[in-house]
Amino acid sequence: MATGIQRRTVLTAGVVSTLFAAAGCATGGARKAGPALHSAATGQIKGTVSVWSWDVAAKALKRLAPAFEQRHPGVRIEVVDIGYDNAYDKITVGLKSGKGLPDVLTIEGGRLPGYIGVFPGGLYDITALAGRYRTSFAQAAWKYVTDGKGKVFALPWDSGPCALFYRTDILKDAGVDPASIRTWDDYIGAGERIKAKTGKKLLIMDPEEDSMFPMLLQQQGQHYVKNGLIAVNDQQGVRAATLLKTLADKGLVQFEKGWDGLVAATKAGKAATTPYAVWWSGTLTDEMKELKGKFGVVPLPAFDPGGVRTSNNGGSALAVTGQTKNAAAAWAFVEFMLADTANQASMLKAEGLFPAYLPALKDPYVTAPQDYYGGQPVFKTFADLASSVPPVEDTKDMPKARDIVNGTVSGIVLHGKDPKKELDSAAKQIAAATGRRIAG
Amino acid sequence: MTTLPARAATPPRTPARPTAPRRVRLLGRGAAVLVLTVGALVSAVPFYWMVVASTRDNAELFASPPPFLPGGRLLHNLVALQHSIGFGRVLLNSVGVSVVYTVLSSLISAMCGYGLAKFRFRGRGLLLGLVLATMMIPFQVLLVPLFQMMASLGWVDTYQAVILPFLANSFGIFLMRQAFLGFPDELIESARMDGAGDLRIFYRIVLPVVRPQLGALVIFSFMTQWNAFLWPLLMLNTEDKYTAPVALYTLIGQSHVDYAGLILGSFLATLPVMLLFFLFQKQFVSGLLGGAVKG
Amino acid sequence: MAQQTTARKPAAAARAKAAPARARRRTSRTTPWMFAGPAAALFGVFFAYPLLAGLYQSFTADRDGVTTWVGLAQYRRMMHDPVFWTSLRNIALILLVQVPLMIALALVMAYGLNQSWLRFRATYRIACFLPAVTMLVAYSVVFRVLLKTDDGLVDQALTAVGLPSIDWLNSPGWARIALIGSITWRWTGYNAVILLAGLQGIGREQYEAAAIDGAGPATTFLRVVLPQLRPVILFCLVTSTIGTLQLFDENYVLTKGGPGNATMSPVLYLYKVGFEQLDFGYAAAIAWVVVLIIGLISYAQFRFLGKDATR
Repeated sequence: MATGIQRRTVLTAGVVSTLFAAAGCATGGARKAGPALHSAATGQIKGTVSVWSWDVAAKALKRLAPAFEQRHPGVRIEVVDIGYDNAYDKITVGLKSGKGLPDVLTIEGGRLPGYIGVFPGGLYDITALAGRYRTSFAQAAWKYVTDGKGKVFALPWDSGPCALFYRTDILKDAGVDPASIRTWDDYIGAGERIKAKTGKKLLIMDPEEDSMFPMLLQQQGQHYVKNGLIAVNDQQGVRAATLLKTLADKGLVQFEKGWDGLVAATKAGKAATTPYAVWWSGTLTDEMKELKGKFGVVPLPAFDPGGVRTSNNGGSALAVTGQTKNAAAAWAFVEFMLADTANQASMLKAEGLFPAYLPALKDPYVTAPQDYYGGQPVFKTFADLASSVPPVEDTKDMPKARDIVNGTVSGIVLHGKDPKKELDSAAKQIAAATGRRIAG
Repeated sequence: MTTLPARAATPPRTPARPTAPRRVRLLGRGAAVLVLTVGALVSAVPFYWMVVASTRDNAELFASPPPFLPGGRLLHNLVALQHSIGFGRVLLNSVGVSVVYTVLSSLISAMCGYGLAKFRFRGRGLLLGLVLATMMIPFQVLLVPLFQMMASLGWVDTYQAVILPFLANSFGIFLMRQAFLGFPDELIESARMDGAGDLRIFYRIVLPVVRPQLGALVIFSFMTQWNAFLWPLLMLNTEDKYTAPVALYTLIGQSHVDYAGLILGSFLATLPVMLLFFLFQKQFVSGLLGGAVKG
Repeated sequence: MAQQTTARKPAAAARAKAAPARARRRTSRTTPWMFAGPAAALFGVFFAYPLLAGLYQSFTADRDGVTTWVGLAQYRRMMHDPVFWTSLRNIALILLVQVPLMIALALVMAYGLNQSWLRFRATYRIACFLPAVTMLVAYSVVFRVLLKTDDGLVDQALTAVGLPSIDWLNSPGWARIALIGSITWRWTGYNAVILLAGLQGIGREQYEAAAIDGAGPATTFLRVVLPQLRPVILFCLVTSTIGTLQLFDENYVLTKGGPGNATMSPVLYLYKVGFEQLDFGYAAAIAWVVVLIIGLISYAQFRFLGKDATR
């Protein structure tokens, strides 16, 4: 007789794996030291180099690969566009299981410290070869490709120096001179004036995936951790969160969800400014052609008069994976793409990737006036700021801290919670998750 | 004891009820039609907007307010989609993977469901437990170990790695088990007395009776594999081998998203599922009526 | 071919009446495995190890890149993790509201779709099934456009009829309601199809018998349809409960768990812990607690609702 599901069966479902565990299955254990590349290949390089990338980065790689193949006839470059949305799931699974990765990975700067720290040996140690480029790349970008001991695990590609994009027409209507916005206090004052005169909000934020808070922290020379101690709730952290809270409390923030929300609201002209990274320019020129001539760029407002007028948001790097069987060729390709003035400059022109490689910023294209911005040479503004982006200390615990802080910031901004109290609580959660101590 | 009668030759419809007053009945029907119409509209409106988005320029979608009527860029978007991700090819890949998966998985699930429902055997409880356990455990936590297995087998970037791990589909097994529970043991017994083998009984006598559920299983299996994204993304490393959802997701970039292409692609990708649904619905609804009653 | 087999059945049924049911005792030992074997083998090969590895992982932590045994430490950490508890409370609320609402709607939908007098049945069926076949990526874009603040299509509809505009995704209460609504939108038709398949199995003469007894539509539904459908309803209930307890897709694409964790679910949280925070040990521990909760609830559902339904 067919009976219903028995108690025994459902219990089995719960304990079935316990039985397996009893059989004993130990994995893990101490890891061996990661692979390191010490000297460039002496002989001829050959074989296939596979590269994972996405979006315009993949396009750039595909475009320039033939030139590399021509220079090294024995090598074939295979670029795979893995999409951006779940790229890190794919990369993380490959790193975690120690299998299945290509020779070269595209990784964003913000993800690197976590990967370097949590998966030792996951990426090739390229210190011996890449070390000589240390001064050729923007300081802040170089910081995120190195670990705490100064070992290099990737070569920076593009970087995201930040400035303030503004709508020339809205600021004009409100009678606000963009050059007069020198501090965040000026910024708030301008916002109130704009709101009163035009009814427009000052900026757009997605409280769940906030990039403002880390940007404001980096502007003050730190991220979530300082000297190995949790520092989100220190004076700088509270100052950044309070600024965001003030903007929200005064009704100057347009809240939107996700990337599409940001783009749509900007296109609809809901906000007068966007404090964002250089790559936002690509979105403006691609998606908002009809707004040509209506945008301008000034350096980011500072916290104190005379203070740092920029920060960083985004930027990526190319890394040679520890799983590669063709490290020499993989490195040669990375070097060809990134430590090369002509190639870096061509990727700025064709794909809008703003070089972290400083020599490329001397390209005439950078100083040229940009039509879209009514003739303002905006890339020069960013290039001038690029070298003064404060480098910040990031550790493998950065992803945990970022996740926890994101939830906290949305509470402060949306629900008016007290910045200090909330950040203290976030610091405690980070401490519980990472075992780190809280500074101060 | 069985509760579900296996009268496959009888029409599953409500007959006219001469006892209910005509007016009440009409009122009831009116209400039912209203509820269904509202339900159908609510279901279809977002879908309608996909049609709108498919025929618009990417930038138009961000207009405020969003557009509500179709535009004229369908052909343009279609060409762009074929150019950007080779849509025709990835669609064919998807068809191949999904058809193979659906046929094998439905068969294996139906057989296992039958075994669990109609036989008592050592290990049955354990197997049923395992079926339920795999349904209960969040997929996300299985990703890494399963990936390790596939990589050790050297199956990365192959279709068998996409298909095989999920062939035994716990949802399908459970669905079919519940369906078979109602099948009368007497029928099986008498067929055995006639000398029919177990497999023959299964295919010729038992399976046809649960055709409605089998039809649903086929549709769901196809749909699951057709829409599967994360696992195929993890497994496939060659753009030429991508399935449709994996390829469509590459349209989501870091600072640029091709929404028009994305929505057009997803809209077109639902059409095969709709077709299948249409075919199997007809099959499992009217097929059971035999020729006895007119449709 | 199908036609032939159905035609045979009445004869077989007649013979079956005469024979006592001893089906199981007569089959050989290997017969059940002939049916269950392939699936069992696949599960054994592809799931035993991942399940086992996941459980082992929940007792470990990453210490400077080395996987270390930490006993129950991850489980203890969960006890004091405010986000985890918030996610449990959220999911309990969604479960209590959304699953019964959806099953009831699906039942009404399926019953309506099964009526012989209904015109354009195929059209209705397809319309109701549309949400289930929509790809997740399109679903996310479409719902964001629908639910956008100020000028989303839903908001425009609200203001058009004189209702106040609602900030759907940025206020905790409305975000939960939007989430419940969008889950229901996506899965009601799916469950209706399963229930419809179950309704097809109810014989005409049972309706006729009820009609002869003078039962109206409501009485027929309660006395004939519901009891007959119980195994199928139970199936929908259990799978929907499991689906809701494993809620991930909808809140991942709509709200990312926000605002302020108001729509965070345990599985979204464990995904974030594992794949964003790279803390696989803790993620596995959360997963097993989720499994335990699902197991207990499923058991309760079978216990209280399944008794005679699965006989």
